[in-house]
Amino acid sequence: MELRSKQIILSMLFFGLAIILIFAFSSNVAKVILSNYAPGMFWLMNLFIVVLGAHRSFAYEKEFDAFSILISSPVDRGIIFIAKWISGFLFITITQLVIFIPFFKLLLLDIPLETFLFISTALLINLAIMAVANLVSGIVIRSNFSEILLPLLLFPLLSPLIIAATKISKSIINLESFAIWNVWVLIVASVVVIFGLAGYALFDHIVEE
Amino acid sequence: MELFYNNKKNLIFLIIAIVLFVVNLINIIFFTPMIVDQHWAQKIFYVHVPSAWVGFVGYLIVMISGFMLFIKNDNRWDDVALASAEIGTFFMALVLITGPVWAKPIWGTPWIWEPRLTTTLILFLYYMGYFMFRSFGGNIERVRRQAAALGIIAFINVPIIFLSVQFWEPEIQSHPQVEMASQPPEILYSFLFSLTIFSILFAVMLQYRVHLIRTKNLLKSNV
Repeated sequence: MELRSKQIILSMLFFGLAIILIFAFSSNVAKVILSNYAPGMFWLMNLFIVVLGAHRSFAYEKEFDAFSILISSPVDRGIIFIAKWISGFLFITITQLVIFIPFFKLLLLDIPLETFLFISTALLINLAIMAVANLVSGIVIRSNFSEILLPLLLFPLLSPLIIAATKISKSIINLESFAIWNVWVLIVASVVVIFGLAGYALFDHIVEE
Repeated sequence: MELFYNNKKNLIFLIIAIVLFVVNLINIIFFTPMIVDQHWAQKIFYVHVPSAWVGFVGYLIVMISGFMLFIKNDNRWDDVALASAEIGTFFMALVLITGPVWAKPIWGTPWIWEPRLTTTLILFLYYMGYFMFRSFGGNIERVRRQAAALGIIAFINVPIIFLSVQFWEPEIQSHPQVEMASQPPEILYSFLFSLTIFSILFAVMLQYRVHLIRTKNLLKSNV
């Protein structure tokens, strides 16, 4: 059912491309300077895409009152959280894979040599980001001004992940040894575990009518 | 409902807290020793650290109240959580004001991305969102449970925020690592006294605010 929501992926994709366009126009600097900022810009773009995707994912269910039906189904609500987490992870990953090459090419940057490693670590980071985003989105979606409240609550919570994601991607682009950046992988993994468990345990309470 | 100060215990508790707070301020200003290289700026330490302490205690209580709300299903825990969040945020704001006031003469710049200050700023911004959510959340019963979840996830994220900022730019982490045990007794005792007074003040404020929230809820339900 989630995969039928093509509009979410398409809107995330074109939103991402629009951000690249803005980055290209607003950072008309030498390639060497821009390449220093590239990992941060890449994750900033992803952060905006996540906000859009997480909000749309829950908003559809809110519009058609599908959320009430979903939570009244005879399934453990923690499982619903995990299902939405996995679907959100797939949305952001598909979008990221499509947007990966345009991001570097449109900004006239070199594609990371360790592309496989870059994408593999991005998968773990996406999993962590979506665990937090899914939980916060589930909380705010039925409130008024949810489109403002979501980033307001999400960005501070995601700040350690954005630091970690930028550090990991920068290290991979600069071909640094894993020993230098493994601490960031541990931080991301701890977010996956903590927020995965918190989401599973709390989702039942936050969606209760 | 009885007025807060009509209760003799509350009144005595409040008067003691105010008197001790004034004594604490006099002690900080007139009796604590001057540190040679910091002069007056060092005195902020007696307000800055206790404010941070009670701020974090406030957020810890929000988390505990959240758990209690889920376990006991008693809305009174939400009153405690809201009051504690408000007071905790007030003290966090104090930390964010006194930090740069101290940092300007000592570091030469009002702000450095130091882990404790950064963690405080992140939590402060998050709690601004928390209060907005409580205002615009909609159904009050649902908002209580969801706010409890927000309080829990905010506090479990604190160690992750702290560690990530600490590893972020190690070269700019120049916050003074004060070894309290090695401080002269005049500084150590004054600091501990201030910490205790701030904790008492927090307890009084929490008690008063919870009382106000419950009175307001009662009036609303009677209208």
